[in-house]
Amino acid sequence: MLKIALLSCAHTHAAAYAGILAARGDVDLVVADPDGFGDVPAERVVGSYQEAWDAFDGGPDAVIVTSANADHKELVLEAARRGVAVLCEKPLATTVADAEEMVAACREAGVVLMTAFPVHFSPAVETLRSAVRDGALGEIVGLTGTNNGKLPEGRDWFTDVSLSGGGCLVDHTVHVAQILDAAFGEPTDVRAVANRILSASRAGEGAETGGFVTLTYPSGVVATIDCSWSMPDDGPTWGGLTLQALGTGGQLTVDAFADHVGGPGQWLPYGADLDALLLEAFLDAVRTGRTQEPSGEAGLRTVRIVAAAQRSVATGEAVALADV
Amino acid sequence: MTTPPGGPLAVGIVGTGGIAGAHGPGWVEAGASLHAHSLDGAEAFAETFGATVHPDLDSLLAAVDVVDVCTPTPVHAEIVHRALDAGCHVICEKPLTRSLEDARAVVEHAERAGRLLFPAHVVRYFPQYAAAKAGIDAGRIGTPAVLRYERTGQFPRMPWFADQEASGGIVMDQMIHDIDQAIWVAGPVASVHAREHVAASQPEVRTAHVVLTHTGGAISHCRGFWGPAGTAFRYAFSLAGDAGRLEYDSAQDSAVTWDAVARGGAETGGSLLPDISGMRSPYAEEILDAAAAIRTGRAPRVSARDGLVAVEVSLAALESLATGRSIPC
Repeated sequence: MLKIALLSCAHTHAAAYAGILAARGDVDLVVADPDGFGDVPAERVVGSYQEAWDAFDGGPDAVIVTSANADHKELVLEAARRGVAVLCEKPLATTVADAEEMVAACREAGVVLMTAFPVHFSPAVETLRSAVRDGALGEIVGLTGTNNGKLPEGRDWFTDVSLSGGGCLVDHTVHVAQILDAAFGEPTDVRAVANRILSASRAGEGAETGGFVTLTYPSGVVATIDCSWSMPDDGPTWGGLTLQALGTGGQLTVDAFADHVGGPGQWLPYGADLDALLLEAFLDAVRTGRTQEPSGEAGLRTVRIVAAAQRSVATGEAVALADV
Repeated sequence: MTTPPGGPLAVGIVGTGGIAGAHGPGWVEAGASLHAHSLDGAEAFAETFGATVHPDLDSLLAAVDVVDVCTPTPVHAEIVHRALDAGCHVICEKPLTRSLEDARAVVEHAERAGRLLFPAHVVRYFPQYAAAKAGIDAGRIGTPAVLRYERTGQFPRMPWFADQEASGGIVMDQMIHDIDQAIWVAGPVASVHAREHVAASQPEVRTAHVVLTHTGGAISHCRGFWGPAGTAFRYAFSLAGDAGRLEYDSAQDSAVTWDAVARGGAETGGSLLPDISGMRSPYAEEILDAAAAIRTGRAPRVSARDGLVAVEVSLAALESLATGRSIPC
């Protein structure tokens, strides 16, 4: 049995992770809910991080950090101090400096650090990565990615910039950015625009709810990510993620959450459980001690893109990634 | 200057390449008597649409009330000025002109002359875009916030299209439609930034991304693609506002779908113009709107000023491509 502590119920993914881990049978799980959300089903829920650290003889084998973004850093650094493997929710951190410190601490401690990008495990996304790798689209010239969703409900910290680090630029840019990172490496510059017209009355002060992030790669390949919370509240599903690649050999569009049975007002997803695949990879990394992708480094690189995007929104000009 | 009141409009097509063939049926439907002048292909056009061929522009201008400019972009301005000087109303294929100076000059000329100058932004007459615009005007999405437009076609075979100096490239030729749409839906543009990438191995294949920030706060992303040989024409949009979202994709939302067996050996080649076989022709709608505006004096769906603004914003995108900077409008 692996001893796992889920640290915080702040993130909406916490309940899904707890449910999957509880059902596995090879995990002894304790959930820390210091904010008292009270809606993550688990056999053992404790009211503080300290109780979670102390819940197992000899401490946990691994922790999963599902706190508000701004709290990731202290929890990951604590895991590094204790020599415990970490899966940290995305975005890895709210600043580049924090992300760098977290990655460095885990590296120096020899601790596994992975970033929770479930879409990395989507079979559709793997099809796109392999098409890029194998040259199936010829020379790729450009891409358009979308990660649109509803503004999260019941978790107001998502648009409290002191806890989240920002609005949709922070929450939704990184998923597509990580797929692009795995396929194309790091961009040279980032240009972004943002606004707050969607859900303006619900979003916290200063949190953008709509945005485009345009990345330019060393080859000149151009990619734009629509990171807006533009799925209406009455939409049939939470949102989705698409990525379209265009090349001299044709076009490929993948829709990571397309697998569903529909009907008027109906949306029954049947696709691969990406959260379960992510946790499987993480538990494998815990057992072997070898980090898998998406790594902490991948998380850091996407945080750098977000920071560049935020600076671009502020300056109105493209920002070189090297300057971030 | 030959048309009696209520009689057929005398219309001169100048330039009888691909787009003239798209305009022809609309003029026939409008009951126009057609004239044509072209450096090449006027006879074939005349045979198809029953036009009188003129050996030079002056002879055509003397015979018509309306000139429909279907030439390559670089000579639009000269022909529009001559047509206005001759007292004609003018339909002009998009982009209105290649330069901002020329666009301002033709628009001001038309205003001085009291003649219609109608930029043929046909996408405003595509029923999908017209339905979206009507829905948005009726409040279906609330305040427009985040708009995405995509346009995909096979790279143009006529060499002047790919000549950036002549045509303005993919931004001014293809994407100007979506720039015009974004402005139609979300209003004037405050600033523009743009990126383009041309395939090193096959320079005809290219993509452009243009992001508009509107003065009202909305943001728009326009994505153009000139694809390899065989690329089917495709257009799509997703328009999100604070009260809803409207979406369309020509590759998915079709009234008619043939399966591969039924299609048999039919050629599935690429195209520069969209397949409009399943819908009321937007080209005919466009021409009939222009003809009605000429006959009645009412404003058509797209004004000369709209054409000027589309040129201005497209040129700002080209400047952004050249400098890497954001360009205020």
